Amino acid sequence: MNKKANIFPRVFLVLVGIYLLLPFGMTLIYSLFVEWTDVLPHGFTLRNYADLFSDAEFWACIGRTLVLCAVSVMLTIFILLLAMYVVIIVDRRLAKFMQLVCMIPYALQGVILSIGIISIYSGTGTILSNRMLMLFGAYTILVLPYIYQGIRNSINAIDVNTLLQAAEMLGCGKFRAYVQVVIPNIFSGILISALLAESIVFGDFVLANNIAGNNYQNIQVFLNRRMFRSSGLASAIVVIIFAVVFIITGLVLKLQGKEREEK
Amino acid sequence: MRMKQLSKIKRFTGYLAILPFLVIVVFYELLPLIRLAIGSLTGKQSHAFGLENFIKIAVTPLYQQSILNSIRISFLSALAGIVIAFLAAHCCGEASSRGKRVFTMILNMTSNFSGVPLAFAFMVLIGNTGILTSLGQRYAIPFLADFNLYSGNGLMITYIYFQIPLATLLLLPSFAGIRPEWREAAEILQARPLDYWARVAIPNLLPGILGTLSVLFANALAAYATAYALVMNNYALLALQITSKFKGDVQIDSATGGALAMVLILLMVFATMTNNYFTKRNLKGRELI
Repeated sequence: MNKKANIFPRVFLVLVGIYLLLPFGMTLIYSLFVEWTDVLPHGFTLRNYADLFSDAEFWACIGRTLVLCAVSVMLTIFILLLAMYVVIIVDRRLAKFMQLVCMIPYALQGVILSIGIISIYSGTGTILSNRMLMLFGAYTILVLPYIYQGIRNSINAIDVNTLLQAAEMLGCGKFRAYVQVVIPNIFSGILISALLAESIVFGDFVLANNIAGNNYQNIQVFLNRRMFRSSGLASAIVVIIFAVVFIITGLVLKLQGKEREEK
Repeated sequence: MRMKQLSKIKRFTGYLAILPFLVIVVFYELLPLIRLAIGSLTGKQSHAFGLENFIKIAVTPLYQQSILNSIRISFLSALAGIVIAFLAAHCCGEASSRGKRVFTMILNMTSNFSGVPLAFAFMVLIGNTGILTSLGQRYAIPFLADFNLYSGNGLMITYIYFQIPLATLLLLPSFAGIRPEWREAAEILQARPLDYWARVAIPNLLPGILGTLSVLFANALAAYATAYALVMNNYALLALQITSKFKGDVQIDSATGGALAMVLILLMVFATMTNNYFTKRNLKGRELI
């Protein structure tokens, strides 16, 4: 009786685990073989990867994706930290407003955000109709809730009031106290949310496809275009994308574990 | 007097730091949202202010179907996700710590596997020339051989797939909150396992389950990339229909598209508020901001 009760959880977890790994696992194997029409694939090859790595367009897409990731996440952190200065030091009544504004994008997600932005700016002929500008603006809003939550949680976890008082007593100005005392204390929280945001931008298809489309293909749009042309090549792209996301997730988990240990 | 003025000016300059944030939020979040709302309330031909577009959505079969399909697929995939997640989270509590660690790692890894890559992986698996499909044809397994990935059923299985890791990750903390002593206490009081589940475990887990359910519902509702990669615009789904009104080969129709977008926003807000309601009840402790 007891033994039976102990075996079921393990079997169930193994089954779910296999099911979850199946799509990626099959794609990985598929990318490494020439043909797979029977039970086992045959003809091991690295051809798909060689083709992919010698494709200049692939590297261009990777480059664009990295630019998008780096610029939009840094921009979001920068404007949020400045805004948080006002909320914490100048006027705490703004906290509710900040929270509302930062949580709205969560309800919008990529679809509404992208069509809202193109419907208002595209074809207006102004500087705002520049596709790159629209794309950076959109990504900044897309990752806003995640980075805001990260910063907010870290601020709530430390004793900001005491820190500020101590700094002021030592003759430190308010802005300097915020930059040199508060921000270093919430740095690891910011880093974790920034990495999460990177994986969101890296995995985005909707904004890039709707706003920039062919003009500025990121890796996901590139994959979607190649998918129906060569499945071998596409499977290699999927493996690369997943590997990158996996590394980012690993970093996040490691940092989170470290932070928990410190507490 | 001068001091007072000076501190007033200083106070004012303090507010300046929020300006970059406000500019970006106004230009890329609030104005686009207002533009969509105005578009949805402006009649397509009449240009009159009113609910014309919403009435049109309500009587056009394609749009009716899109809304219903979106709700149906989102709700059913969320439900399936939560059932599997419930069992998995429960099993996690009984597993060894190593098993638990490996399983959580798989969850974290696969929770990021969505969108176009996921759609492609399912094409490799069970698409028209997929591995399981050709095996099904070769060994005459009709379920595999005739499965149509590029349909409502195909969307359903891919959606259920991406719901499972997210659902389990969200449910694990709730299960961790159930203390083993409760079960012992219930057993000492002669409760049958059914009593324990119905009166102790489930009531304690319910806020977490319902909150997670609403997150999953919203997650599926707003999903676009997976569906687009599988069926392009050839399926009546809210997210696909909205986008096709603003992009692609047909002329831009911000009246109908805006109204459909408003429907999606309402559903998303409903789901988000449901989740807030259930998670707020669990929050304890005072927060600074």
